[in-house]
Amino acid sequence: MIRTAPDEMAGLKQGEGFLSLRGLTRRYGPFVAVDDFNLDVAKGELVAFLGPSGCGKTTSLRMIAGLVPSSSGHIVVNGREITEVPPYRRDMGLVFQSYALFPHMDVARNVAFGLEMRKVAKADAAARVREAIAMVRLTGKEHHRPSELSGGQQQRVALARALVVRPSILLLDEPLSNLDAKLRDEMRNEIRDIQKRLGITAIFVTHDQMEALTICDKVVVMNHGRLEQVGTPLEIYEHPKTAFVAGFVGRINRLAGTASGGIAEAAGVKVAAPGFTGPVEVMVRPHRIVLSAGAAPAGGDLHQLSGTVARATFAGDILEYEVEAGGVLMKTEAATRGGETVHAPGTPVTLSWRPQDTFVYTAS
Amino acid sequence: MSAIALPARSARRIGPTGVVMLLLLPIALVNAVGFLWPVVNLLRMSFKETQATGALIDTVSTATWATVLSDSFTLDLIANSVGVSLFITLLTLVASYPIALYLHRSTGLWRTILLVLVIAPLLTSAVVRTYGWIAILSSQGLIANALLFLGITPPRLMFNLTGVVIGLTEILMPYMILALLSGFGRLDPRFEEAALTLGATPWKTFWRVVVPLTAPGMALGCLLCFVLAISSFVTPKLLSGGRVFLLATEIYDQAIVTLNWPVAATLSMIVLVLFGAALALYTRALRRIA
Ligand SMILES: Nc1ncnc2c1ncn2[C@@H]1O[C@H](COP(=O)(O)OP(=O)(O)OP(=O)(O)O)[C@@H](O)[C@H]1O
Ligand SMILES: [Mg+2]
Repeated sequence: MIRTAPDEMAGLKQGEGFLSLRGLTRRYGPFVAVDDFNLDVAKGELVAFLGPSGCGKTTSLRMIAGLVPSSSGHIVVNGREITEVPPYRRDMGLVFQSYALFPHMDVARNVAFGLEMRKVAKADAAARVREAIAMVRLTGKEHHRPSELSGGQQQRVALARALVVRPSILLLDEPLSNLDAKLRDEMRNEIRDIQKRLGITAIFVTHDQMEALTICDKVVVMNHGRLEQVGTPLEIYEHPKTAFVAGFVGRINRLAGTASGGIAEAAGVKVAAPGFTGPVEVMVRPHRIVLSAGAAPAGGDLHQLSGTVARATFAGDILEYEVEAGGVLMKTEAATRGGETVHAPGTPVTLSWRPQDTFVYTAS
Repeated sequence: MSAIALPARSARRIGPTGVVMLLLLPIALVNAVGFLWPVVNLLRMSFKETQATGALIDTVSTATWATVLSDSFTLDLIANSVGVSLFITLLTLVASYPIALYLHRSTGLWRTILLVLVIAPLLTSAVVRTYGWIAILSSQGLIANALLFLGITPPRLMFNLTGVVIGLTEILMPYMILALLSGFGRLDPRFEEAALTLGATPWKTFWRVVVPLTAPGMALGCLLCFVLAISSFVTPKLLSGGRVFLLATEIYDQAIVTLNWPVAATLSMIVLVLFGAALALYTRALRRIA
């Protein structure tokens, strides 16, 4: 394991956040699971780790919890370096992807476990356990074994067990992945409410972008063990820094093109591309495209592309098109207002969108 | 549709219960002939008597039972056997548990190698292994010579209880390890990780999470080793030098040396009762664990 010398990290200790990660790296042999992870999380913030399967989300979380040693880098909590501190002295709550409830204990004893380890007085502990179980709406199930609970109930016990000790940092590893859509929605908001109410700093691992965007203050997008972008949900969605982020968060259309002299040309459309030269990817989100029948009207400063409808899908609240234009299939979607005509395949149409809705990236 | 359903129906003419019964028949027969019949014979024998000359009297009386159960020698023998077997069981558990835990956590080729090492002693006869221990423990043995070389007078390690305990513990360890491993199914490292993140030290995690989750394996291993220890004969016979009195060796002496078959049969029945008690204790423990 390679570690930087103490004097080298003296400056790192004054991390800007409550939780700071500095150059956190984890290798498995030659494979780098997490590569040079830097992050600052403010107190009381809910941060999402978002990325495709295998990108290193769980590994990062386990390093923060102390269950996996880091290959290099530092973890600082509240100005204190904890990289070498064992997990049982880190004061963090971890909700496992698989819940990991103790099968030999009932709900109440599972929840009480952390308090017992912290030697909280019996009466006080009992009151807190009751409160935590009520908070996750499981009152009456105290004496059930985990095996007698549904997936959603187990997930709530795991949450109560992690929350009852009032950890300084709560780590949630895809806690909603095993729930149905409705319960998922409910639990998502419940986690958000509890976290805000108790002022807990939390990291929420997910590969569901909806989850990340809707409840988190900040989103960390990861890919192949590397941090792609950190920002508010709005920043991530409206100003994706890399082609990966643009493609992973939300839906996107991609046009291949080339740039020179600050202008990129893709499928005949010229877009501003300051600082780019060579092959580029031009991207635009489907619902930012306006589709109109017939030839292009003089569009002013709008980007325009003409093509023919390949497929129209009426999905009730939205109307989706796939349009063959510039050699690719461009997707568009628009909320239905009632009364619009659904263009049949083969209809010539024009796609137009605003310059500010256009993203340009160097082609990979 | 019905063409497909029909053959399925005709195949089930015997019914699932019938098939199960049919499959169980061979083993039931073997058990009846090889186990039940001898036990009944033994029971019958224990109600016979011997004359002072040693001749067998073919009666039905409780005289042998009365003598055996009122004789302080046999009562001590029973208590001693149970005590020694329990002690050996406990020692085997303590010695095997870390090995089983390590084996449970190892993976790949290393695990296979370790498993082979654990099972290998079972492929050797207990007699051979006991002679191995004699070579190590005897007054001319490995340990004694090593201690003498260091200028220490070696303690007596054989022809006493120490030798029997050491030998039996080693011989029973493979059974214990395999029983433990079979009962470690519920042990998932995630539970230990959960305990650690909740503030439990590794020590607390071991006692509060690992031990309870492995309790079924421990119960099974202890039952198996207790039964094997109390009925083991060759190892105590060879390592005790006739100085340690245990039920199995006494039964042998009564049956082969003294030729007092009713007493041997009575003692055998007592061993069987002890087995039953151990089994009852095991099922009770298992119910409490689960
Ligand atoms: N013990 C290990 N040994 C070797 N490689 C590992 C180990 N643990 C994880 N990895 C690798 O590290 C990478 C990141 O794994 P990680 O579990 O962090 O992914 P993840 O982002 O949580 O994925 P998912 O969304 O599927 O849970 C994966 O490619 C995985 O194969
Ligand atoms: Mg994961």
